[in-house]
Amino acid sequence: MATLVKMPKIGLSDESAIIAKWHKKKGEQVKAGEVLFTIETDKSTFDVEAEVDGTLLDVFFNEGDEVPVLTDVGVIGSEGEDISSITIARGKPESQAATQRLQIPEDSIELEVPSKEKIEKAYPDLAEAEESGIIKISPRARNLAERAGVDFRFTSPTGPEGRIIERDILALIEKGPVFTPAAKEEYQKSDMDLQVSEGTGLGGRITTGDLQKNSEEQKVEKEASMAAKGLEKQETAQKSVIEAPQQALQYKEVKFTNIRKVIARNMMNSLSTTAQLTHHATFDATEILAYREKIKATGKKYGLENITLNDMVLYAVSKTLLNHPDLNAHLVGETMMVFENVHLGVAIDTERGLMVPTIFNANLKSLNEISREVKELAEQCRKGSINPDYLKGGTFTVTNLGPLDVEHFTPILNPPQTGILGICSITYKPRRVNGQYEYYPAMGLSLTFDHRAVDGAPAARFLKDLKTNLENFSLLLAR
Amino acid sequence: MSKTLFIDPKQMRKSGWITFKDIPVNQYNRSIDDEKANFSKEDFLRIYRDMAIIREFEMMLHTVRTTNEYEGIPYKYTGPAHLSIGQEASAVGQAYLLDKDDYIFGSHRSHGEIIAKAMSCIQKMSDEELLEIMKNTFEGAILKVVEGKQKNTNSIKELAIDFFIYGAMAEIFGRENGFARGLGNSMHAFFTPFGIYPNNAIVGGSAPIAMGAALYKKVNRKKGIVISNVGDGALGCGPVWEAMNMAAMDQFKTLWEEGYKGGLPIIFNFFNNQYGMGGQTNGETMGYQMLARLGAGINPEQMHAERIDGYNPLAVIDAIKRKKKIIEENQGPVLLDTVTYRLTGHSPSDAETYRTKEELDAWKAVDPMETFKDELVNAGIASQDEISEIRQNSKELILKIFKLAIDDSISPRIDLVKIPNFIGNVMFSNQRIEKMDDRECDVLIPKQENPRVKQIKNKIRVGVQDGKPVSKIKTYQLRDAIFESIIDKFYTDPTLIAYGEDNRDWGGAFGVYKGLTESLPYHRFFNSPISEAAIVGSAVGYALCGGRVVVELMYADFMGRAGDEIFNQLSKWQSMSAGVLKMPVVLRMSVGAKYGAQHSQDWTSICAHIPGLKVVYPATPYDAKGIMNTALMGTDPVVFMESQKIYDIGELFHMEGVPEGYYEIPIGEPDIKKEGKDVTILTIGPTLYQAVEAAKILEQKYGISAEIIDARSVVPFNYEKVIESVKKTGKIVLASDECERGSILNDFARNITELSFDYLDAPPVVVGAKNWITPAFELEKFFYPQADWIIDAIHEKIMPIKGHIPVNNFTRNEQIRLSKLGV
Repeated sequence: MATLVKMPKIGLSDESAIIAKWHKKKGEQVKAGEVLFTIETDKSTFDVEAEVDGTLLDVFFNEGDEVPVLTDVGVIGSEGEDISSITIARGKPESQAATQRLQIPEDSIELEVPSKEKIEKAYPDLAEAEESGIIKISPRARNLAERAGVDFRFTSPTGPEGRIIERDILALIEKGPVFTPAAKEEYQKSDMDLQVSEGTGLGGRITTGDLQKNSEEQKVEKEASMAAKGLEKQETAQKSVIEAPQQALQYKEVKFTNIRKVIARNMMNSLSTTAQLTHHATFDATEILAYREKIKATGKKYGLENITLNDMVLYAVSKTLLNHPDLNAHLVGETMMVFENVHLGVAIDTERGLMVPTIFNANLKSLNEISREVKELAEQCRKGSINPDYLKGGTFTVTNLGPLDVEHFTPILNPPQTGILGICSITYKPRRVNGQYEYYPAMGLSLTFDHRAVDGAPAARFLKDLKTNLENFSLLLAR
Repeated sequence: MSKTLFIDPKQMRKSGWITFKDIPVNQYNRSIDDEKANFSKEDFLRIYRDMAIIREFEMMLHTVRTTNEYEGIPYKYTGPAHLSIGQEASAVGQAYLLDKDDYIFGSHRSHGEIIAKAMSCIQKMSDEELLEIMKNTFEGAILKVVEGKQKNTNSIKELAIDFFIYGAMAEIFGRENGFARGLGNSMHAFFTPFGIYPNNAIVGGSAPIAMGAALYKKVNRKKGIVISNVGDGALGCGPVWEAMNMAAMDQFKTLWEEGYKGGLPIIFNFFNNQYGMGGQTNGETMGYQMLARLGAGINPEQMHAERIDGYNPLAVIDAIKRKKKIIEENQGPVLLDTVTYRLTGHSPSDAETYRTKEELDAWKAVDPMETFKDELVNAGIASQDEISEIRQNSKELILKIFKLAIDDSISPRIDLVKIPNFIGNVMFSNQRIEKMDDRECDVLIPKQENPRVKQIKNKIRVGVQDGKPVSKIKTYQLRDAIFESIIDKFYTDPTLIAYGEDNRDWGGAFGVYKGLTESLPYHRFFNSPISEAAIVGSAVGYALCGGRVVVELMYADFMGRAGDEIFNQLSKWQSMSAGVLKMPVVLRMSVGAKYGAQHSQDWTSICAHIPGLKVVYPATPYDAKGIMNTALMGTDPVVFMESQKIYDIGELFHMEGVPEGYYEIPIGEPDIKKEGKDVTILTIGPTLYQAVEAAKILEQKYGISAEIIDARSVVPFNYEKVIESVKKTGKIVLASDECERGSILNDFARNITELSFDYLDAPPVVVGAKNWITPAFELEKFFYPQADWIIDAIHEKIMPIKGHIPVNNFTRNEQIRLSKLGV
């Protein structure tokens, strides 16, 4: 009896995931518990294990395909078994791709666009329509897409019976890849995969230039060995430029991973949609360093975690923020959502890139609890097993480049949050005490905030409070 | 209904007998010798000549239809040929005394009648008159063909005969030189300069129209009588009875003013050829046995009914002479039972399975072409040679004209390749004529003294003032708007008359005409019998003759009763006459509310389906007055729909108020009642107000801005504004109170789809009434489109609305299910 393998649903709100790698090929033997394939969501990577023994009789999607959750992706059975009778809920990579763009939530509020699931529930015919391979789109929506240069396949239909209507294209223009008319034509003629995440044209439109780059990148990738020899071609193409060709070939093209794409998008979005700036300050770290020594020496005896300087700053931030509610907030449009508790995002550097898990209700937790939670979350991020629900919901973020000897930096806001604190390295600074100069360990703090939400002075006051709390850490702990 | 007529119970309950006078049956008994005193030799020979021309004309058609040639000349004619061979004596006898001021209306079998009438007119008219007519007909196009082709080139009468025979034959053969450019054909030939009005292919169709023509003559004091020529079979048709009854209404004697008193100047003549197609009226399909008996059923004068021998031209002439006198004494109407017999079939395809050879032979033995000839010869009036010469001349005439009429180079058909819209151009006359005659208007009081006019003067001409609705009593209502336009025209156009059921005194069932009685004499404004066919049919005749008329059907549901008159007569005569005739008729029809299945139907679409009618449905006082003004200024038939739901509504859109003065709103131009950007709602009629309500909810609850367009007119209709709107919104719902299936809204939706496909974000959605009967008033909200239906339809079919929970089922499955069930 053949068993269908489904795309698992990991995050609560996940709609689909990309098959990053098939660890077994069609026809290969698998054992229960063996890794069958790896999937990438927009926030993490998971291995999916086989649940039964048998032969991988068929796979319905290729690596790189985006597959809606709970869709059958393959079938395991006994060798030679006839599986033609099995009705398989195959999706079509083409049409699923259409949902891709809008499903990368930018950690903002829920999009107005109803999820596909909801639409399916409301319009049971949708699935049927998709199976027939027809993309339903109103003439108006099609025309708008044409004029605006967007590829309507990237949208989520919200019209009756799964039809793409005008507002879906408007949403796509707002969020998704928009082509210039020329680029659109070129894109449609070509068979290239769209890898361009941000266009360089007006209003972020993807231009023919972007496409050429994209296509060249793909070409380079496909013809890796040809790269060096490709010289002649390039030369003939650009005769008038004397030096460029050789240099142009001296880099290796590396495709963005899914996470990289999200990071890139989020960063650009942050910079282009907020009014962020950074305050820098230092504080006397004598007390927290002393506390750290104490932990090192006797913490274990008390059953405490290996509490780091980073943990202490997190703790201090969580205790200070509620006095500065505008920094523990989301700015959505012209509305501030001021949170009652502090949900602290902690930036974690992983091989795959930056990830920001959340310590929920950090202000209600002890230093030890915070320390333990951070370690667990960081570990899960590095392994790629983090539940995506922990990768959102933060109200303020702390990022730490101190161990890497960075003295000052400008962290980038994670919208719609209004603040992010960067922890920097410790340097020794002189100060004058009783006519004498003495050196003290000064730890840097870089606070980036959204000036739309918070003015400079209040932001500085937060830094000052934080500084006081950190310089008097034992007192803070007693509170 | 009139307070001046006392209905006395004593009289009503008194015992007694209805007595009848004897009805004369073939009482003419003069010999030809007796008649020598009344007719000269020329008269006698002319009678025979006219009969001979008719006989030859019809023999030609018969031969062509059955053998595809005439006198060795091949010609294929496949059109209708309902011949009256054998009936020539009755036609010529009837026409003998008639001139151009006497109007005849015929049937499908009337070639003989029109030729006879033309011959009589030509005989009576001066050469100058004839030349004038010939030169003016299609700028002399017909004249040009026959000019100079006469034996006696100096004889204008001979020329006029050629002219008429050619014009009639070209018409029958569908040629451009026909009297109606070939658009009327065999069954509809006519020529009004000779008082020959359209023949009618609907059995009995001419009776109410002829009655309307008689009404025109009476009201406008025109010379002449009118004859309705239909067959005996037509007595099975209700409209014929309605026409006779209406022509004999008591009010002509009791209520109409001096100078207008007396019955209508009309003869209802029945060419009683014994058969309605094959159905034998005497003995099989009727019960009267003698048709003339029926006059006794209409009025105390028994319609001066008489049976006359249509096989003796002199007997017919005698009868017409006496009946004409009766009419001139204002004693009409008259009924004539003209006994005759057709010697050929109903049409060339008639296998004559319904009569015997003996019967046919017996009638052939008394064929007037032979019997009248014998009498002329025997009485020494004409020699055999003279008779033969007449027959020979007739043959030569018909052959000569035949050659001209079938020659494509001389008698082409209208060139629909060169002028593709030729017929389109004659569907409407589209003229602006303020008054159809120049004389003074006959009214009882100056307009400003009219009590209703005075009352309206005090009304507030908008429905909302300072943001507050004006009370119904103070508001200038939609019914006031219609009244204001119509009374204005009554003081402008002397030919304008209005009638219908309960129009006078009652003021119309819904108060539109309240106060009109005070201004107008009976002959301009009166109550008709409950005879929808006669109401509309007579309006057609009144307008054909040159008058302007507003008639009313109390409920649109009664349209079925006037089906033929609206669909075949009112709508068609302008185009069937190639634009020769005008039809300035406004047909007011009110759509009921609260009155259940047979009194609450919006049948706008049924009218819209019929080519040749303009159809309007204003929903605001401003539009109602402006559109009625335009309708009354035009020359086309306008079906003017009114809704009983909103007779009392004030003006809510034109905030400057409804102008007191004259203004026009073009027919065919929809109006944007509310601007919006997200979705368009196009309505017909009172559904406008449901759309307004829907727009309010859409705006306030869902932030969706709806643009509302009021169609105002249905035919013609300019889509440009709608397309512009759809270009903007991409979405459109169409709503009206008509049952959804077959609603004109579906046509609108299709055209909008075609015309703005690339701009549409969803297919146009039609929201109509249910395909049910109209239920009781309390349940009407489940039948007529409501605001929430419109919103639900948008939600389900156009654009799901976030947070909206539909209560009506507009899903596709429901649509398919309902269609499968036919509901």
